[in-house]
Amino acid sequence: MDYYLSVATFAGLNVILALSLNLISGFCGQVSLGHAAFYGLGAYAAALCSVAGLPMGVSVAVGMLVAGGFGIVTGFAALRVREDFLAIVTMGVGFLFLGAVRKQAWLGAEMGIAKIPSPLDKWGYAALAIGGAVAVLLLSLHVRRSWMGRAFGAVAQDEDAARSIGVDVSGYKIAAFFIGTAAAGLAGGIYAHMTQLVVPDAFNFVQSVTILAMVVVGGIGSTLGVVAGAVLLTLMPEMFRFINDYKLLVYGGLLLLVMRFSPEGLAGLVHRVTGRRLA
Amino acid sequence: MLEGVGLGIAFGGVRAVNGVNLRVERGELAGLIGPNGAGKTTLLRLLTGVLAPEAGSVRFEGKDVTRVPIHRRAQLGFVLTHQIVRPFREMTLLENVMVAAASEVTRRPWRALASVEVWPARQRALALLERLGIADAADKPAHSVPLGYLKRMQVARALALEPRLLMLDEPLAGLNYTEAARFADLIVQLNAEGTTIVLVEHNLGEVTRIAGRLLVLHNGAILAEGEPREVMARKDVRDAYLGVQAAHA
Amino acid sequence: MFYLELLLVGLVWGCTYAMMALGLTLVYGLLRILHVAQATVFTLGAYVGLLVANHTGSLAGAFVAAALAAGLLGPLVYRFIYRPILDKPPFVALVASIGLLIAMEDGFRLLFGPYGLSFAKNTWFTTAVGFGGLSLNLVQVWIAVAAVVLLSLFALFATRTRAGVAWRATVSDPSIAESFGVGVSGVRHTSFFIASVLAGVAGVLVGLLNNLVEPGMGSVISYKGLAIIVLGGLGNVPGTLLASLLLGVVESFGTVYLGKLLDRDAIAFLFLILVLMIRPQGLLGKAR
Repeated sequence: MDYYLSVATFAGLNVILALSLNLISGFCGQVSLGHAAFYGLGAYAAALCSVAGLPMGVSVAVGMLVAGGFGIVTGFAALRVREDFLAIVTMGVGFLFLGAVRKQAWLGAEMGIAKIPSPLDKWGYAALAIGGAVAVLLLSLHVRRSWMGRAFGAVAQDEDAARSIGVDVSGYKIAAFFIGTAAAGLAGGIYAHMTQLVVPDAFNFVQSVTILAMVVVGGIGSTLGVVAGAVLLTLMPEMFRFINDYKLLVYGGLLLLVMRFSPEGLAGLVHRVTGRRLA
Repeated sequence: MLEGVGLGIAFGGVRAVNGVNLRVERGELAGLIGPNGAGKTTLLRLLTGVLAPEAGSVRFEGKDVTRVPIHRRAQLGFVLTHQIVRPFREMTLLENVMVAAASEVTRRPWRALASVEVWPARQRALALLERLGIADAADKPAHSVPLGYLKRMQVARALALEPRLLMLDEPLAGLNYTEAARFADLIVQLNAEGTTIVLVEHNLGEVTRIAGRLLVLHNGAILAEGEPREVMARKDVRDAYLGVQAAHA
Repeated sequence: MFYLELLLVGLVWGCTYAMMALGLTLVYGLLRILHVAQATVFTLGAYVGLLVANHTGSLAGAFVAAALAAGLLGPLVYRFIYRPILDKPPFVALVASIGLLIAMEDGFRLLFGPYGLSFAKNTWFTTAVGFGGLSLNLVQVWIAVAAVVLLSLFALFATRTRAGVAWRATVSDPSIAESFGVGVSGVRHTSFFIASVLAGVAGVLVGLLNNLVEPGMGSVISYKGLAIIVLGGLGNVPGTLLASLLLGVVESFGTVYLGKLLDRDAIAFLFLILVLMIRPQGLLGKAR
């Protein structure tokens, strides 16, 4: 049972991460190659708070705020550079986070932070992660239906045209980064308490790419597609144990094949087969 | 309504726009023309805020807007359309106009997040599409309709912001003779309904026909302004155009 | 003296970056693709070079074999991965490229083991060369020599040969190039070939420099290569070379003075982010 609970928890966390990146990259069109850094910021901030004796709820909230705060800073960077430049800058943000954490003694350097208090049992974490995933899912669906979603679309499709019809492009970019990174921080906070250990390598570039893989395999911009992508990529290595040894080979290969043959991902496939667009 | 005072900017030592003063009065339909390379596009960019002037200032309804960003100007009622059509390609024509029609709501991200009410913007957008005669393609994605439709959609999108001053950058370019004439008539009509319009145009025939006043730009400065036929009859204006044509030949 | 040594070491690193980044900038200038998978080509070159060197004992043979293998892989990547998706949004090719890199990295791990291989005989590595009190090893000297020679050859190619002129024409405007009868496809394949040969040779040199060839050796240098071409102003060749040397030197001094706060990669990317915030178009890029 424990095994299934931990798989369910990770599926929930991955859905949160993938949906939060989709909000930034899919809805608002701002490519990010450093999403794991915000996951990590949330995890580290929550871990520090909990070790200092704060209750878990408060720690996780602080983690969200810290991640969201740095997200806003990154959003400001997105005002200066676009597209390919932004992709590289966000990748740099990821390396900067890792390189800084690795050298800080008060963050445990390479060893990370251990013995984080863990107030819940396996059921509790699974419920929390899945609850969080559902909350972020509902938020995503709401954003898409709201005027914010349409304004995001305008920013993603043509910034200059968006400006000329009175859309505050900068404000929307920063909002997207804030919401998306704070949600990643939520995942980080839950992760830290569940595993009771955070180390820098859990938030490296490969982790960023893994999150991105879930988004593009599901279909960038499609909420339901991204949920499916996240669940699929979490379960696949578990269902086929042999994949575990070749996890990166499969992930990388999948990214490559999806981009090469169906760049709209699962959502694009559904669209082609049924003629319906996924939300 | 709109006033440019001593506007100037240089690119790599070349003064593209040099101390331009101009006024646009409420309710008029002014045409801004000039031979190729006269600095029309640059002047337009200075007026609309795409470029920041090195010298001079821009006033809109008595308020200095020189440093006001483009989206704020649009919210104030100072709206431009792009020379090259800039639709939101993945949206339908209707959605394109709806985003602009909901400008009150989309102004602030948090307010936009709280609002899901669609139909007022939808009604207004539909009415505008009908007004411009493109309601038949309302539900077609923007990347799939012909240029004439996009040009009209762009005007509809601008009108959805209820502009007090509309700047049209070469709205007739790329249209054939009849389309251009029909479009020009539409511009006259909009003006008659109370929108102040500045028309930057290459199509001299149409612009002299419909504009109430012409401003001629040459070598980055205003060469002449006044009643269209009189302006076009002036020798210096003809020379400016002929000179350029001679140089091209 | 200490500063001079830091400067020199930094410049040598800058030379390896330049060999990597020049190829990336060629590809970007031509296709607007951030060719992350160049790292795969680099690593392949290193492995082929190492295997040939260890079996035949010939370093010259190692370089030739590495250049050939790399030069073959690059155009294949273009033909079978990038070319079919050129009309898609830019992130598509980027993600495909990252996917290829990650998959191949794991592939190298499965083939050659996770811990890396060393050269059986690496005399360059053990030979010290004195430079008026400064000491470098022979690999570092050869890196500098190789970079200068290869990049000069490239400069000659780009300015003096028909293919080079065609390349530059294609970069500035594919349609113009076509009307002059320049084959766009040929130019693209050639560019990938040149980029890949440079990367393959750089792979062997870095393998010799660390006396280690491992599956992940290409990724960090490739990410930095991307940072460099952005820093230099995307698609701008002189900017790329300047940024390569600059980044090498910044890292070399940075690890000494900021080493307690940030690691080497973080220093490089911090530098990149700071420069871009001040000059969003890169060092020598044109304002857009």
